[in-house]
Amino acid sequence: MGKNQFLLSLDELFELEPGALTGSETLDSLDGWDSLAVISLMALVDEQFGISLQPRQIAECTTIADLMGLVGDRIT
Amino acid sequence: MAGGTVSGVRIAGIASAVPNSWRTTADDAVTFGEAESAKISQKTGVRRRCVAADGLLASDLCFAAAARLMQDLNWTRESIRTLIFVTQTPDYVLPATSCVLHHRLGLSQECAAFDVNLGCSGYVYGLWVTSRLVMGGGRALLLVGDTINRIVSPEDRSVATLFGDAGSATALEADPGTSTTMHFQLGTDGSGHKHLMVPAGGLRRPHSEENSRRTPREGGNSRSDEDLFMNGAEVFSFSMNKVPGLITSVLDEAEWALETVDAFVLHQPSRFMLEHLARRAKLPRSRFVIALEDYGNTSSASIPLAMTTSLADRLANSELRLVLTGFGVGFSWASVALNCGPLLMPPVIVVDGVDGDLASDSTLKVQV
Repeated sequence: MGKNQFLLSLDELFELEPGALTGSETLDSLDGWDSLAVISLMALVDEQFGISLQPRQIAECTTIADLMGLVGDRIT
Repeated sequence: MAGGTVSGVRIAGIASAVPNSWRTTADDAVTFGEAESAKISQKTGVRRRCVAADGLLASDLCFAAAARLMQDLNWTRESIRTLIFVTQTPDYVLPATSCVLHHRLGLSQECAAFDVNLGCSGYVYGLWVTSRLVMGGGRALLLVGDTINRIVSPEDRSVATLFGDAGSATALEADPGTSTTMHFQLGTDGSGHKHLMVPAGGLRRPHSEENSRRTPREGGNSRSDEDLFMNGAEVFSFSMNKVPGLITSVLDEAEWALETVDAFVLHQPSRFMLEHLARRAKLPRSRFVIALEDYGNTSSASIPLAMTTSLADRLANSELRLVLTGFGVGFSWASVALNCGPLLMPPVIVVDGVDGDLASDSTLKVQV
């Protein structure tokens, strides 16, 4: 999966217009970043990458780019 | 994994009971706002939940279910040799609520009675224990239920919009003639105990003014340490990692191909989680039960209630090949592959309230 495609999935998860997120946004600045979003993210990454994110890893993230980093080199 | 095989036991009937009082998404909107409440409901799949009024307990709901089942099965009080009550919301610290229920149901002194403290995995654990005890002969009642709303802070959106209260009764008896076999797989990861718990109010951290004071917590929620705490992300992570493999393993144990199963009845935590687990375990949507829209997540009673609401006609008239799977608080999990039916499946019993002195033989006002 490409970086842009993953960002588009995150746009959908945060209920934003497609293309809204660039990666530099801080999670705290996003209205939709709550416990339901964390679970949705875990499900998304599990389904699209087969990776089981640990809640602790997600809690350490402060930006969208950090979230993308969790998927690592699976994003081309 | 723990488990094994039980044969020569049949399930004779299953009854479920809920309180006749409800909370809807509209009620939740008063506390959490319309948008937030709608968003939560969309994820959980819960439109309304049955919430027991003060004074109506899990034991009362289970009593109503058990009384109905005994009557419809024509089981005499004297014929029951084992009574097991699975709950996290007992009547008392002690004695075991099963002893109180034993009295209320008028069972004989030849009947063993004890409680089991488990939640979302509790129904399948209860079936495991009960069926193994019945293997030797006789009849048993397995009562399983919770009134989780009693231990939830109404200002904690992670739990206050999710749970329903319900009770159930399952009648089991030895039947050496039956060819059916139950295959169980059970396990525990106690390191997860802190992710779904009521931290205070027990003996390690006794009730106190400080422990019972509701204070601001993460996500704008408010609760005390004597309220239920749930780390939803940890519970989701555990379920995602454990449940698909558990279902595969119980199917292997039974030597059943996935497509030969008539219905998969999982604990009903939320629609979002159920749909994700179904996709991961590759369970066909048509044979996968989702039954929490009108009741909420009813904890230990979720599996029997889902069977009552979604499979009653088929189970009443035919034998079905089922996989039942519970998982959650503990962390604890259990799955069983079993044939069951035809069996007695009364419709959901709606309990209006309790009359009289609860310490003696009380009368329940029941709607059917």
